[in-house]
Amino acid sequence: MSFIRCKQLTRTYMRGTEAITPLESLDLEIAQGKFVALMGPSGSGKTTLLNLLAGIDTPTGGELHVGDTPVHSLSRGKLAQWRSEYVGYIFQLYNLVPVLTAYENVELPLLLHPLTRTERHARVSAALEAVDMSDRHSHYPRQLSGGQEQRTAIARAIVTRPSLLLADEPTGDLDRETGTAIMDLLKQLNQDDGLTIVMVTHDPATTDWADTLLHLEKGKLLEATT
Amino acid sequence: MRGAVGLLLRVVPVVFRTVRRSPIRTGLTVAGIAVAMYMFTAVEAMRTGVRDATQASAEDATLVVYRENRYCPFTSRLPQWYVDRIERIDGVRAAVPMQILVSNCRASLDVVTFRGVPEGNLLDSLDGTTVITEGTVADWQHRGDAAMVGRTLADRRGLRVGDRFSAAGITVFIAGILDSEAMQVRNAAWVQLPFLQEAVRSGGTGGDVTQFNVFVNDPTRMDEIAADIDALFKHDERPTATRPEKAFVGRAARDIVALADFAGMLGWGALAAVFALIANAIVLAMRDRIRDHAVLQTLGWTGGLIAWMVLVEGALLGLVGGLIGALGAWATAQLGRFAMTMEGTSIEMSTSFSTAAMGIGLALLLGVLAGLVPALRLSRRDIATCFRAV
Repeated sequence: MSFIRCKQLTRTYMRGTEAITPLESLDLEIAQGKFVALMGPSGSGKTTLLNLLAGIDTPTGGELHVGDTPVHSLSRGKLAQWRSEYVGYIFQLYNLVPVLTAYENVELPLLLHPLTRTERHARVSAALEAVDMSDRHSHYPRQLSGGQEQRTAIARAIVTRPSLLLADEPTGDLDRETGTAIMDLLKQLNQDDGLTIVMVTHDPATTDWADTLLHLEKGKLLEATT
Repeated sequence: MRGAVGLLLRVVPVVFRTVRRSPIRTGLTVAGIAVAMYMFTAVEAMRTGVRDATQASAEDATLVVYRENRYCPFTSRLPQWYVDRIERIDGVRAAVPMQILVSNCRASLDVVTFRGVPEGNLLDSLDGTTVITEGTVADWQHRGDAAMVGRTLADRRGLRVGDRFSAAGITVFIAGILDSEAMQVRNAAWVQLPFLQEAVRSGGTGGDVTQFNVFVNDPTRMDEIAADIDALFKHDERPTATRPEKAFVGRAARDIVALADFAGMLGWGALAAVFALIANAIVLAMRDRIRDHAVLQTLGWTGGLIAWMVLVEGALLGLVGGLIGALGAWATAQLGRFAMTMEGTSIEMSTSFSTAAMGIGLALLLGVLAGLVPALRLSRRDIATCFRAV
């Protein structure tokens, strides 16, 4: 059975009196441990799909299962709890909390879990080590380069040991060299830890790291390339 | 720590860091709250002092006999021999003739009030809670120009036993310091009656006095005895007006009482300012942190948890500002020992810590209340909308 299963997944919202449907009746299955890249023009529904997979938006139709969880039917509170346990999310603009250090940013998701301070410290240190940011743990985001900020954001996404990692254009704000390093890191996490990764991207070069490439247009899946 | 309470406690340090690491916003907000709470606490200390000085209690047993239709110690003149007739009235335990001389008859924060009492009557003239903390009655009786100085007056003027000090045109030698629960005792310098009568050129012993302090046996008969005293001298050359001491203070210091009532409104205004300051700071902070809150929600934080952080932040700002302002006002009252004196009666600014504690508690409460609406609104926002708003 596939790890992610979308069945007739639809998202419609109202803009004034006009109904907008960025995602319409999408059927999709992704196996566990896959690295999937989502491409498509602006407004094709990539980010909407990513948000639905992350549980930060809810579908207006259809079903979405991740593992054994029927994500489409979870309440707000249950969705939040599910996100904290199973999902890691990487943003294009890193979105680190500016008044917290790299260490404190990475620690944020763990505060939701009943861990001791020592257990939290061990997990944060391991996550920072995994992204090669241990020596910058006490730096604030403003003191880090773009690549270092994104590494910290990745550490924050993986510190809870999620089973699903979602990335919204993770190299979109980085230069080519740094972007390559970030993609290498994501691939390493995918291969070493068996993380399922779904990544939205505009950059065809970053699809080289993915196992599967999905093309979306006008809210529908056009083709899948393996 | 596990469970919901553990979760709530685990996120509190995040709020502390956020507040501490936004020094300009936090500093300005806390400074504003501190100034307003300083004002509120100072006003409350003044109002508490007024209440303590003028609100009658069941234990009050002192009447003040003053010259009828006179409102200033300079114009109230009663023959000292009235004392024998007052003491013969049923229910009167003792009556003490008293000459009063003040350095300023108008309302002021630093008036020196001299109270002259007969040489053998010092302790009888004072409230039952009075204790002599330095010097002795014998020291006071030994010198004609000796003064027993109330603790508040001594602290305010920096007076010590053995010092000489001058006010209202007379110079006295300080023979002792006394303390009392009675405000009028703490705020006066007690000298021998003939000395003060001589000083105000009223003819020495057997001449005029300003007032009589009359102590009654049964506090429930205060009004009855006051009426008896006034009836006794009604057709005399110098009729009297007798009131319970606290009512007398309330009448004499009515301008101060009115001022305190007005200041009370300013105090409430200060609280409203605190509320507005915290609410404004939180609303602005919430706007700045829309993205941060959306990120936290993406990480799995619930809207309720973020609302809790907002409430903690409001409480923290209120608490820190309240602590600085209220403790500042309390320390000022402690060090300054301010007493507003009018027509020879004194009303102290309360130095009780309970006033400061009330200020701190109110600031904390206002902080929570100011964060309530933003917290509720935040808890209902969905993540996608927050990201779109950035």
